[in-house]
Amino acid sequence: MAEPLPSGLPESIADEEDLARVLRSSGHYSSTCVKPAAFLPAKDGMTSVIRHGADPVDDLWRAAEAVLGGAIRHGAAICKAAVIRAERLDVLAHEPPPRHANIVGWPTNADPELQKAQQKELALAIASQSMLITVS
Amino acid sequence: MALYLATRTGSAVSREAAAVRACASAIVASTERSIALFGAKSAVIDRIHELAAECEADGWDGDDGVALAQDVVDRAVSFIRALPDDAPLPEVAPEPDGSISFDWTAARTRMFSVSVGATNRLAYAWIDGTDRGHAVARFDGDMVPARVLGGIRELMNGRAAALRVA
Repeated sequence: MAEPLPSGLPESIADEEDLARVLRSSGHYSSTCVKPAAFLPAKDGMTSVIRHGADPVDDLWRAAEAVLGGAIRHGAAICKAAVIRAERLDVLAHEPPPRHANIVGWPTNADPELQKAQQKELALAIASQSMLITVS
Repeated sequence: MALYLATRTGSAVSREAAAVRACASAIVASTERSIALFGAKSAVIDRIHELAAECEADGWDGDDGVALAQDVVDRAVSFIRALPDDAPLPEVAPEPDGSISFDWTAARTRMFSVSVGATNRLAYAWIDGTDRGHAVARFDGDMVPARVLGGIRELMNGRAAALRVA
C-alpha cells in the first residue's frame, strides 16, 4: 500500500475528489461561469490544481496561497477529478506544496494552432462542468 | 473607414508612412473608446486593453503565463472591429500562451471560444450540449471567417442544429 503524501492525502486521486483551479485573472470568469481559458495548460503542458475535498473554503484559499505564493484575488473553479478523466486527461498528485496536483495529458500536435484548438475543446468541456467560487 | 485602413500594417516602410499609421491608430483608439460613438464594441475593445495592462508582464498568472504582446492585442481589436454590427459580442480572457480568448456563452453547456494569438490563424472550439468540436481558420484582419461567424450565430441563436466544420 502506498505511503500517504506529506499532506496526509493518498497519492492516488479518486474520481470523486474535488479539484480547485485557482483563477488567475478577472477575465477567467463571469458572474455566472468559468471561462475555458482558466483551465488551459501552462508552458510545461500541465494545469496546476489543488485537491480541495470537503474542506471549508477558507482552507482552500490558504492552500492556494501556499501554492501560488500570494493572496488569492479572484476565486476558484471546482470540478470532480472524474470530469477531467472523462476528457481523456489525468490528474496526478504533485507535492510539495501540500495538496497540489497537475492535470496532465493535454493533446499535442505539430500544428500549434490545431493543438490549441484541441486543448480549447477540452477546456470548454471542463469549464462547463465546473462550479465557480469567488473570494468574498 | 479610411482611418481604420490607415492603421493596418501595409507595405509602406517609410518613416512618414509609419508616422501616419501611428497617428491614425491613436485617433482610432481614442475614438473607439467613446461608447457614445461606437457602442458595445468599444466596451469590448476597452476590456482587451484592460486585460493587456493586467497581463503586460510574463508570469501574470503566478505561473509562466506569457505577456499579451502588442501584435496580439492589435489583432484582437481587429477581430472585434471586423465583427458585423448585428453579431453578438464576446467576453474577453487572457490565455497562458499570450493569446486572447473571445468567449460567447449562451448557457453553461453552450459556449463558443476563439483564440487570437501570434499568427493570423484562429484556434476555435465549441460545446453545445453533447455536440462539440474544434478547428482552425485564417483571419485576414478584415473579415471574420465565415465558419467562425456561422458557429457563433448558430450557438447564440439557440438553434439545435449541430455546428459543422466545412
